[in-house]
Amino acid sequence: MTLGKKLSSVVRGFGIAVLVAVAGFPVYWLFTTATHTTAELFGGQVQWLPDLGQFFTSFTSAASGVPMLRWLSNSAVVAFGTTFLSLTIAILAAYALSRYRFRGKGVFGFALFATQMLPEALLVVPLYSIFLTFGLLDNLTGLVLSDTAFAMPVAVWILKSAMDGVSLEIEESARVDGCPRYAMLTQIMLPLIAPSIAAAAVITFFEGWNEYLFANTFITDEQKWPASKGLASFIGEFVTPLNHVMAAALMFTLPAIIFFLFVQRRIVSGLTAGSVKG
Amino acid sequence: MTDVGTETRTAARAVDPTPRANRGRRLAPYLFIAAAVVYLLLLTGAPLLDGLWLSLTDTQLLNPTAGTFIGTHNYSSLFSDAGFAHTLVVTIVYSTATVLGALSVGTVAAVAMNGAFRGRVFARAILTFPWAVPSVAAVLVFSWIYNKDSGVLNHTLGSVGLAEHGWLVDPTWSLFAVTLASVWKVFPFVMLVVLAALQSVPEELYEAARVDGADAFNRFRTVALPFLLPALRVTALLMTIWSFRRFEIIWLLTQGGPVGSTNTLVISVYREAFVNSDLGRSAAMGVVGLLLSTIVTVIFFYVDRAAARKEAL
Amino acid sequence: MPRIRFNGITKSFGDHQVIKAFSADVPDNEFLVLLGPSGCGKSTMLRMIAGLTDITTGQLEFDGTVVNGTEPKERDIAFVFQSYALYPHLTVRANIAFPLLMSRFKPYHHLPVVNTLMRRRVLRDPEVDAQVRRVAEMMELTDYLDRRPRTLSGGQRQRVAVGRALIREPSVYLLDEPLSNLDAMLRSQMRAEITALHQRVGKSFVYVTHDQVEAMTMGTRIIVLNEGVIQQYGTPKEIYDRPANAFVARFIGSPPMNLIRCRLEGRSLRFPDGGTLQLPEGCPSPDSLERDVVLGVRAERISVAPSDAVASETLPAHIVLSEYLGAETVVAFKSGRRADQAEQGTVAEHDVLQARIPGELHLTPGADCTVRLDLTNASFFDIDSGERLPVAVPEATT
Repeated sequence: MTLGKKLSSVVRGFGIAVLVAVAGFPVYWLFTTATHTTAELFGGQVQWLPDLGQFFTSFTSAASGVPMLRWLSNSAVVAFGTTFLSLTIAILAAYALSRYRFRGKGVFGFALFATQMLPEALLVVPLYSIFLTFGLLDNLTGLVLSDTAFAMPVAVWILKSAMDGVSLEIEESARVDGCPRYAMLTQIMLPLIAPSIAAAAVITFFEGWNEYLFANTFITDEQKWPASKGLASFIGEFVTPLNHVMAAALMFTLPAIIFFLFVQRRIVSGLTAGSVKG
Repeated sequence: MTDVGTETRTAARAVDPTPRANRGRRLAPYLFIAAAVVYLLLLTGAPLLDGLWLSLTDTQLLNPTAGTFIGTHNYSSLFSDAGFAHTLVVTIVYSTATVLGALSVGTVAAVAMNGAFRGRVFARAILTFPWAVPSVAAVLVFSWIYNKDSGVLNHTLGSVGLAEHGWLVDPTWSLFAVTLASVWKVFPFVMLVVLAALQSVPEELYEAARVDGADAFNRFRTVALPFLLPALRVTALLMTIWSFRRFEIIWLLTQGGPVGSTNTLVISVYREAFVNSDLGRSAAMGVVGLLLSTIVTVIFFYVDRAAARKEAL
Repeated sequence: MPRIRFNGITKSFGDHQVIKAFSADVPDNEFLVLLGPSGCGKSTMLRMIAGLTDITTGQLEFDGTVVNGTEPKERDIAFVFQSYALYPHLTVRANIAFPLLMSRFKPYHHLPVVNTLMRRRVLRDPEVDAQVRRVAEMMELTDYLDRRPRTLSGGQRQRVAVGRALIREPSVYLLDEPLSNLDAMLRSQMRAEITALHQRVGKSFVYVTHDQVEAMTMGTRIIVLNEGVIQQYGTPKEIYDRPANAFVARFIGSPPMNLIRCRLEGRSLRFPDGGTLQLPEGCPSPDSLERDVVLGVRAERISVAPSDAVASETLPAHIVLSEYLGAETVVAFKSGRRADQAEQGTVAEHDVLQARIPGELHLTPGADCTVRLDLTNASFFDIDSGERLPVAVPEATT
């Protein structure tokens, strides 16, 4: 290799190392901080490395001191609910957008996109009144409903572009073979776009899992707090030990990281198909 | 992946119910979208209209049903409010900084990640973390990192002789701190989109440029950049709209303070409703924010169309 | 005008060796064709000449200078890609002029505004403009100079790619299967144009293809490759008349050379189903008293007669398929009478032989016939290795 090539690959390697360090550091820090005692953390010395010896004790006392299990299960309920509801609606809508021409198609598509522009903060008050009227406050179902409003359009976007990628001939041949229209969706289309459904499922799941604003406003009963609200309650409060907070945050983060790793490629291609020209 | 564009076109020419088709066929698409439409109307449209209505009243949080119509009073009071003007400035500064930051870091990351090297899968996985991490958890870590006395940032700066700051409590630095956390959270998305665009560039084009005598920069500019620009434009739009909406990171880190230095529009909307109890005014601010997003989207739409036409593609 | 020399070149990707010990010497002004089936390593070979792929071992010399480590732009070459590799966002004019743009490039031209200004200035420069026009005229692209590649047809894009190569006036032109994306009629037209170009330009061309028709019509020298190993290096005539092994024999020529297993006994050939032929006087044969060989006879050296009678010096056969092409008929046949053989009718089997008969010949599949082989200039191959056996004219016995 020439000197120029060697130099540029060193620079590149260095750049990548910096980027990886910057991206990964906060997660590493969550973990490391969770394994030290508050005395160590506030004692004037930065604890760079995790104390693996204290690992178990840290996490088990965190789990008992903080109602993490209850919070996480609430989060899971909301997340699964959001996924199920969003995907059901989105699959149907995406199929229509992909396979049919109809009056109002453009308006409908635009309306879906427009929801991306709406700040949740604007809708939270009106939704509060609506939920109040229908008894949906302090209710995880209410949260599912509000989260779906924002998750569903993204899912439609991903699923529609996946469906566009399925050739028409397959459906036409099914039609010739006598397959009824409604069955075409379930028997033919869905199996073919399974990976994109998985990606859409992950995105909608984490819309419900991560969501904070609605959770904070609509849920007051402590038993029903999802983890996002629970964790946020630690901010500004100094009673709970920091390492417990960090451990709880880590537990909240891990599922997200793991699932995202599997599907990030699909999500990106679904969101940007058509704009990335080849 | 690049075929999806053409497929969209052919798919759109798909089942077009002919007049002699039975009524069931005609209705089919409407049935499919029915659930979504109902949903949008009830849970997005209705609240939106309600919000618009609220913005024209003086409703208070403590008595949400007893608001009286006051016309555009909320709006006019906003436009004569220096505090609101400040909020708009903060919003624009925050947006611009975050979007530019994320676009640059993301593009650089994508360029670095393009092309094989050992440990690439590992690096790519770690680079996705910020996107995956929930905002609340990110806030918790960042506020600990930014901690004035015991946070790692100040410790590191101090040990190399640089100035330490109260990142979240000092009005001069708080917007910077919040922007940094936001860019961290968001740049992986840019990286993934740009990387996908880069990988769609045919390798032969780079080689042709090499044979023609182009150096590395020229190769990037002549070959890669034209493929990147459409993707970058869409990403810039998404980033901008998202920055107008971004609530958790800012609210949980600084609540819009200190002294309003990180007070973006959404923060104001929230505070006005839940701290100052003025639902009407809050809704008015929200509507202004929505208008801002719409204007940006429209501008983007025209810029993108003009650019796409110029590229003759 | 360099003389290209390959000295023990090999190429491996990791542990996988794709090109084995390649040595050849190519004189000036040749139209060298690298011919072989997909995956044989010919494109890799071309890219090594260009400098786009590194050479693992061995030396590559242009005019005696080792160029192994030299960058493509220093090698004074031009490369036409199979997919043309045109810059989609530049006009035809800018595409063609691009090498000139790059040669005039200075470091400070990287700055954004300067870059666009400089590009415009170079394109307006009278000298550059004259060169672009000259090339455009040669390639019949004058009317398309301000269009984008996307709006051009395949043939036009190919000409732009060639134009971009021409403008640099390099010493060597490298072309990687440039015609494979074109339809048949355009392909034959472009074949003639490229050959004419070679005459006009007077420089060395190295041309990669899997199409033996292109190789035979355009090349002055051909290197036949298979699985990274050179099978033969010679002129089209040498390769056609005296293929170096069974692979080359079957790869070149349409229909492929017929390979027939038989037993050489002195000056007689005994065939598996019992037929015997005598080698004519003065016809060279391998120097052996008795051995199994593979006989190679070109299709045009076989004549077929629809007669049942067995005449001397002919073999009995039966028709498998008969294809009338207008000027000739290609007949596929199998040796031996029809009697007890199951018919498949495909010409792909190796013991189905083919003959080219001028004009029209009415033959029904399944019918018996007699076949006469013209054994002058026949080839003989070793039955195990497939290598060509050396032949000699036997001493006249008087």
